Amino acid sequence: MLNRVEKGARPARLDRDRSLVEAARRDPSYFDALYRKYLAQVYSYAYYELRDQHAAEDAAERVFMQALAGLPRFEERVDAFIASRAAPVSAADAADFSTFRVWLFRIARNVVANERRRDRRRPAASLDDAAELSAPGDVVETAAAREAVSAAWQAVSRLPEDRRRAVVLRFVDEMSTAEIAAILGRSEGAVRVLLHRALRAVADDLRGQLS
Amino acid sequence: MLGHGTRDARRTERYLDGLMAADERRVADFPVDVEVDPAVRFAARELRASLTRVHPSFRFEEALATRLAAGAARQQSGLPLAEAVARARPGTVAPFRSSSLSGINATMGAVAAPPPPAAPAAAGRARSVSPGAAFRRLPEMAAHPSRPMIVGGVGVASAAISLGAVYVAWRHSHPASGRMGRAARAAHGRTAHSGRNRRSGVINGIIGVVS
Repeated sequence: MLNRVEKGARPARLDRDRSLVEAARRDPSYFDALYRKYLAQVYSYAYYELRDQHAAEDAAERVFMQALAGLPRFEERVDAFIASRAAPVSAADAADFSTFRVWLFRIARNVVANERRRDRRRPAASLDDAAELSAPGDVVETAAAREAVSAAWQAVSRLPEDRRRAVVLRFVDEMSTAEIAAILGRSEGAVRVLLHRALRAVADDLRGQLS
Repeated sequence: MLGHGTRDARRTERYLDGLMAADERRVADFPVDVEVDPAVRFAARELRASLTRVHPSFRFEEALATRLAAGAARQQSGLPLAEAVARARPGTVAPFRSSSLSGINATMGAVAAPPPPAAPAAAGRARSVSPGAAFRRLPEMAAHPSRPMIVGGVGVASAAISLGAVYVAWRHSHPASGRMGRAARAAHGRTAHSGRNRRSGVINGIIGVVS
């Protein structure tokens, strides 16, 4: 069944997880499919933010427990967002946009933010470890490749918090600008500028490291 | 009219969309807007190659799947999930599951084969308890130990060692009567076992153990 928006009666884009969400609402044991689908994404987000394997595991567990508990209250809001696509999307429109993935990552953002607040004195993990983790199963593990990964990690870790989050969501979790805007509560334009500036800063940083 | 920054940010977004789509199609090259800042292109390619998704361990994935299944069973039976969510927070104490072997299997076998969702009653038993409540339940837990215990401690252990020593001494004074035994005795120039030797061997063995 296609949802239709009021303006122009265009077919709206559906949440691709709608069937899984509906199944999980009818029978919570079906939540397992959503969990398996998004575990790596949520875990990666937490890992890149917290830079600690155990902290990332704790965060991922809390995210999925909260998602399971809150699933009956989850509301998919896609239509209003689609209708407003013709005009520039404001932060308010973005905040109103919610697919299951966006909703899950909003939970993840809050859980990770709480974790960081609670443990501000946590020493940052070694970036060398992170570099090893970020290049699993490389057939040719050359020193140069490792250095490149490590350099990229360092450049990203030096970004301001909001830019770093946007970069991780874009590159690691492969999210669209609209999804990132909805998760971060920013307008799409603001997210585009965040990403553009983040990439310029990373380029400067990498060139500085190379030279 | 769009400003320079906004225009550049839009170009960057289109470039990133193309980069991700090319990766998805496993294509190395894709049409690129020549006006995209080369520094942005360089940084985007570096980050795309370096910021890979991280997957948690299989053990963690299956353990969390089991906990979520238990939570789903609670939810389906109308029990609140709040306790399961609270258990995901650090600082709570989880009780031992069960005194039976099946309980141990359920705990240890989580990785190999996740058990089916627990019955509501079982899920209720597996809830977390506060440290204070656990402390108050200590006498009750001691009255009904949930783990097998070694009773007798040092006494039992030393008796077992003594019996072992007596057996070794007896075996020494009772050479085997098979072909290998005869060959060994021939090699060492010893006669077949006699009653006197057996007894003295046993007595010497016991004296040796006791002394």
